[in-house]
Amino acid sequence: MSAKNYLLRLSALILWAVAISCAPAAFAQDLQNGQQLFQTLCARCHGMLGGGGEGPSLTRPTLVHAPDDEALVALIVGGIPGTGMPGSRQLRGQDGPDVAAYVRSLGELPPEEMPGDPLAGAEIYRSVGNCASCHIIFGEGNGVGPELSNVGQRRNAAYLRRSVMSPDAEQPRQVDRFRGSLNAFLTVRIVSEYGSYEGMRVNEDAFTVQMRDLSGKLYSFEKADLISYEKAPGHSLMPGYNSVLNAQQTDDVVSYLMSLK
Amino acid sequence: MKLQQPLSISLFALCFLLTLASNTALADTPFEALLADEQNGADWLSYSGGYKSERFSPLSQINTVNVDQLKVMWAYQMRPTGISGAALQETTPLVADDIMYLTESPSSVTALDARTGRTLWHFVPDITNDVLNIGFPRINRGVALLDDKVYVATLDARLFALDARTGAVRWESKVADNLSGFSLTLAPLALDGKIVVGVSGAEAGVRGYIDAYDSESGERLWRTYTVPAPGEPGSETWQGDAWRTGGGSTWLTGSYDPELDLLYWTTGNPAPDWNGDLRPGDNLFTCAVLALDPDTGEMKWFFQYTPHDTHDWDANQIPVLVDGEFEGRQRKLLALANRNAFYYLLDRETGEYLLGKEYSFQTWAEGIDENGRPIVIPNSDPTREGNLVWPSLQGATNWFSPSYNPQTEQFFVPNRRMGAIYFKSDVEYEAGMPFLGGGEQPMDGDDASGAIVALDVMSGEQQWEFELQTPPWSGVMATAGGLVFGASNEGYFFALDGEDGDPLWFFNTGAHVRTNPMGFSVDGNQRVAIIGGQTLYVFGLE
Repeated sequence: MSAKNYLLRLSALILWAVAISCAPAAFAQDLQNGQQLFQTLCARCHGMLGGGGEGPSLTRPTLVHAPDDEALVALIVGGIPGTGMPGSRQLRGQDGPDVAAYVRSLGELPPEEMPGDPLAGAEIYRSVGNCASCHIIFGEGNGVGPELSNVGQRRNAAYLRRSVMSPDAEQPRQVDRFRGSLNAFLTVRIVSEYGSYEGMRVNEDAFTVQMRDLSGKLYSFEKADLISYEKAPGHSLMPGYNSVLNAQQTDDVVSYLMSLK
Repeated sequence: MKLQQPLSISLFALCFLLTLASNTALADTPFEALLADEQNGADWLSYSGGYKSERFSPLSQINTVNVDQLKVMWAYQMRPTGISGAALQETTPLVADDIMYLTESPSSVTALDARTGRTLWHFVPDITNDVLNIGFPRINRGVALLDDKVYVATLDARLFALDARTGAVRWESKVADNLSGFSLTLAPLALDGKIVVGVSGAEAGVRGYIDAYDSESGERLWRTYTVPAPGEPGSETWQGDAWRTGGGSTWLTGSYDPELDLLYWTTGNPAPDWNGDLRPGDNLFTCAVLALDPDTGEMKWFFQYTPHDTHDWDANQIPVLVDGEFEGRQRKLLALANRNAFYYLLDRETGEYLLGKEYSFQTWAEGIDENGRPIVIPNSDPTREGNLVWPSLQGATNWFSPSYNPQTEQFFVPNRRMGAIYFKSDVEYEAGMPFLGGGEQPMDGDDASGAIVALDVMSGEQQWEFELQTPPWSGVMATAGGLVFGASNEGYFFALDGEDGDPLWFFNTGAHVRTNPMGFSVDGNQRVAIIGGQTLYVFGLE
């Protein structure tokens, strides 16, 4: 990653930290205690800013093992059997809920006003946008790009607007300790003795790479057999819609995506 | 003790009678066997495969020509204990006379028939879910063998001696107080009549030490602190009461030179980890290697790799004992690839610094000066706003083992290539609580990678590298077959050609690998073993 990208990422993290410190006063006390305990007890694995490390990233609105606050407190205190997550016996009284509140705040998306008309956006998604040729929403569409069911829970309007207009600028990060830690949807170009291929990397290790092309077909290659293998960070296979949609249409599509929860 | 096949029962009975007749105690793994561990390819009697800690298998049945025919001979699935957070397996199995001894997280011990993988016994210490492990996962790295006993150090800071035949407890000793943050995760080191252990807990602000226990009685023979009290040598590198919570834990198995009769043990970070303002000075003897008299624990010399560390770069890596010609003179050396991204050679008789060479990208030091002290780049300490530095707190390498091939004089290092944003914060000591003073946010994803690198042991010059997708958490083992076995975070177990690093064979274990390869043989057939996730795999040709 370039120094510029590091700085961008760092700036985003600091902005988030500032946002936390500016939370309403009554709640801030709890969050501050939660943050302090998080940095003491959790940051070693989950990262000082919750962005992941040995443990998964917590900067997302939905957590796999904690569908609700009660479950989150229970696993912070008691750990998760069968995983690397221990409990924290040092937490007393309100500490567990405070840490939980802080963890929730890491992935919290601020409420936003919808810029356009979701119903009109749904129509554009189906017609002009032809988005279903690559995305699945609640079971409908082609599985090439990321599934968009519930995308309104995971992303905010600004992010989705950037993704629609300039997909190259937004590459979602995917951190999975059992797959290693990979950037998701990385564009790769592969030449083997059987032909040339372009697609999105699905998985990769020292010996093999798995790829999905724009038709949704999956490929598996052994690196030793390849003539060339190129990674193209910053280049998305999704077309940018800035020349396809006008401002109103973009607002409508973003509103539609934000309504998917 | 030897696990017998039916055909050899009569021989076994004869041996047994002869043993009784000679009126000597049954000694399954005598000290003499440990002294010869390096030459004995059939067994793997100690954590690093011998006192020199080479992690080198002298067997060559599996070699560069036939390694692509390796197959799984058997597998063993670890047993869940019901304790949360104990899902990582970091043990190196030992093998003595066709019996394999391994630990399962957090601190259980299992004996297996090394021919088939069938269980012979299983020991589970009474550890409860509220055990403290501050700054590391609930893991264990293996047992020690001596005479007729198996020794395991437990997460709640006890040392057990088990009967090697049944797993029954012979004795148990309390090494430290878990409630104040001490834990034991290392494989103990067995010497002549002694069991040596070190402690974890610098992230809880413990004052570290190394202990030796009588192998028969469990009585403590000596204790050597790694942080000096006022008035003791090295105390001038601490101010005020900082030494009381100074860290310097000793959580990885050391090495031993029987000719010099010196024990080599490494030490970890000073506490608190990232806020060095609270402990001005060099903070001896943290981030160092110590040479100790194994009979008394007396420190004969020390070498500190990272004075006043503020990045959590423990020196708890394997000290490998190497004999060879350095700059025209035959010397006894100690080689160590440090978490701080430099490779070091010391004279292990005197502790004299000989070489310090960068083996992995780093941004904190311009180099190492003639006395072995790093030339630190200004402003590379953690800050309140965050400061990007390579390597990350997990280091350019970590606890997992390097390997040394004495036949080719190559030193192989599993290398993590990742930076981190380091933060500093305020902290007050409270017993049994983390004492960190900051933290990191690692730069992972495709910005990070890993490698197995081959270094010339005498110069530290890189000969080749084999790139890995992500920073590894597993060790390497070289063999006389010209191979280097390694593993990846993605779950692959693989064999590289030691000459040029070319991959010759790989196998997907199905889950991340966080342990070291080891080797042994049964009935003259070579075996190599690795654990992927919760499953131990044993490979062979026939």
